[in-house]
Amino acid sequence: MPIHEKTLIDPQLLVQSDKLVVDGIDVSGHWNTMILPRTMTEYDPDFYETIQAFPGGENVHRCWQCGSCTNSCTMYAINTDFNPRYWIYLINLGYKSELVKDKDIIWQCVSCNKCTNICPKDVRPEGVMKALAHWLEAEGHTPKSRSTLFDEEFTRQCIERGRIEDTEVMFNFFRQTGQNLGAMLKGGWLRLLIERMNNVHLLRQGKIGKFVARLPLVQGFKMGWAMVFKPRTRSWGRTGEVLREYVEEQKRAAHAGIGSPTH
Amino acid sequence: MNDAVLVVGAGPTGLSAAHGVASVGRRVVLVEKQDTLGGAPILSGYAKLVPSGEWAKDAIGRMVKRVEDSPLVEIHKGARVTKLGGDAGNFNATLSNGKTVSAGAVILGTGFTHFDAINKPEWGFGTYADVVTTTQVEQMVGAGKIACPSDGRTPERVCILLCVGSRDRQIGREWCSKICCTVSTNLAMEIKELSPETDVYIYYMDIRTFGLYEDKFYWKSQEEFKTKFVKARIAEVTMAPDGKRLLVKGEDTLVKRPIVIPFDLVVHAIGMDPNEDNPEIAKVFGVGLEKHGFIDRDEQYTSTFSSTRRGIYVGGAALAPEDIDTCISHGLAMAMRAVGEMAASRHQRAA
Ligand SMILES: Cc1cc2nc3c(=O)[nH]c(=O)nc-3n(C[C@H](O)[C@H](O)[C@H](O)COP(=O)(O)OP(=O)(O)OC[C@H]3O[C@@H](n4cnc5c(N)ncnc54)[C@H](O)[C@@H]3O)c2cc1C
Ligand code: SF4
Ligand code: SF4
Ligand code: SF4
Repeated sequence: MPIHEKTLIDPQLLVQSDKLVVDGIDVSGHWNTMILPRTMTEYDPDFYETIQAFPGGENVHRCWQCGSCTNSCTMYAINTDFNPRYWIYLINLGYKSELVKDKDIIWQCVSCNKCTNICPKDVRPEGVMKALAHWLEAEGHTPKSRSTLFDEEFTRQCIERGRIEDTEVMFNFFRQTGQNLGAMLKGGWLRLLIERMNNVHLLRQGKIGKFVARLPLVQGFKMGWAMVFKPRTRSWGRTGEVLREYVEEQKRAAHAGIGSPTH
Repeated sequence: MNDAVLVVGAGPTGLSAAHGVASVGRRVVLVEKQDTLGGAPILSGYAKLVPSGEWAKDAIGRMVKRVEDSPLVEIHKGARVTKLGGDAGNFNATLSNGKTVSAGAVILGTGFTHFDAINKPEWGFGTYADVVTTTQVEQMVGAGKIACPSDGRTPERVCILLCVGSRDRQIGREWCSKICCTVSTNLAMEIKELSPETDVYIYYMDIRTFGLYEDKFYWKSQEEFKTKFVKARIAEVTMAPDGKRLLVKGEDTLVKRPIVIPFDLVVHAIGMDPNEDNPEIAKVFGVGLEKHGFIDRDEQYTSTFSSTRRGIYVGGAALAPEDIDTCISHGLAMAMRAVGEMAASRHQRAA
């Protein structure tokens, strides 16, 4: 196991200007390299409350930095930059800028919960990792995750029509996640799925009658119909609007301040 | 008249010993150098004690009253022992007020001296008005208001620096003062109770809230009172450019970076030094001191609480940094030793 040392001089703190003349002397390029101070003074002492508002983050303030979570962590064994103990510390002291630096690895938590089982203070680090990943996403530091995109599409249909169309959910999900439907139908897992669900082996064996008899034609027709006409639940009326307002309200209450310019 | 026990020092240790001796019908002569009985908790005006949560003036006050009310205890305030002659079973002492006392045994409950934070000048005590000690904060809590001494404002952010004057080879103090972690986590909660808007930080190397104090003080202050713990021994305290706040600079060992946090009030969790009188006490009573300067003792297993001189017992914070509960049991144990010793020597004389 390598000894994990962070470099003390952060590349972001190195500044250098290409053209610089001081007192008539040309000090362009590396001659004028400066290191900005690495002292931290900017931090948000209430930040842990923001994380507590996301499911899983409730116990983050209990951590006493014993390091058991990191020692037991599946991901840490692979990448020593993945350090839940460290991130929990940054949350509690409110060093947001340091946290954001690790945005590209925090989401890699595999939810094995080894950390949760070993933590002596019942911090539930796995939950904190989830909460942190959600915060990074909510603040726009990381792109929306696939599960978020799926949830959003699902919720949108619920609110608009009081029901969801599976086909449309999947269709829009594929589109938003940049998955090429055409290619998947041609050769990907989607083709395999459709083939097997529809007993294509019968067709290959020449049993055309049996194949056609088992085709879910009515189902297929319904799916197509719903895709085009997008039916709503009867007397849905203003229900969707009220629902939307409620959901927004709840979100605001839970994550007061997130995404607002002061944070 | 050497059926009496001479008890020196009227802190928790001495008060407990005096009561113990009197409770089996023996006479006590209690000598206290100050004009007030009660020791550090009363003389320094501590607020609520750990772990009981009782106000010091009530809890220790009861110990004082019990001794004052006893017809068997003769009290000399504002007095010291200047000379001690004789041997175990037959001591005679001269007091600074001119009185003489015969005693069969001597109990030393002479306690400790607070570390003077001026000896860590880089941490700002004595330089900045808003750098104070835990005893000062105890007094603020006692008075019911947390305020910056400089201008009386309520602090937005307070930090408590642990181990000030303890665990520090630089200033020749290699011991842990044992109670300051618990006292500091308790103070953090009391500050928050008096001023809910104030954020409290504790700078630590280790947290030593021993035994049952772990969850009652450390965990509770962190989990319920939102005290923040920073693992750092600080480098220096300086004045912020605004001329108002204090900048506390240190290396955050968990982030491996220097951090500077502005505070309104900086509190030194001062440790317990050996009593500054110990060299004199050693001379007058003929007892040895151990390497840190506390009073030395004989082996503990069968010569319990004996000093290096027969017939003289020592306990409480005179021996080492101790908490009050422990001091009280030392006092009772020494009372047992003293009356046991006197009974034995009377037996010998009779035989
Ligand atoms: C800031 C702070 C807060 C604390 N809070 C708590 C708490 O909440 N709970 C707890 O359990 N403990 C607490 N403690 C520890 C507590 O103060 C000690 O455990 C206790 O005071 C020790 O009692 P003692 O009688 O041995 O010594 P002391 O309290 O020091 O009493 C010694 C007495 O002897 C007298 N004396 C000294 N020298 C002589 C001499 N030469 N001749 C005659 N008399 C002499 C002194 O005047 C004094 O009255 C705290 C300590 C500090 C520093
Ligand atoms: S749940 Fe995540 S943080 Fe916890 S041990 Fe597993 S990978 Fe590591
Ligand atoms: S195991 Fe728990 S207490 Fe220990 S560092 Fe991890 S989260 Fe903190
Ligand atoms: S009890 Fe805590 S603050 Fe006091 S000396 Fe020991 S470790 Fe330091």
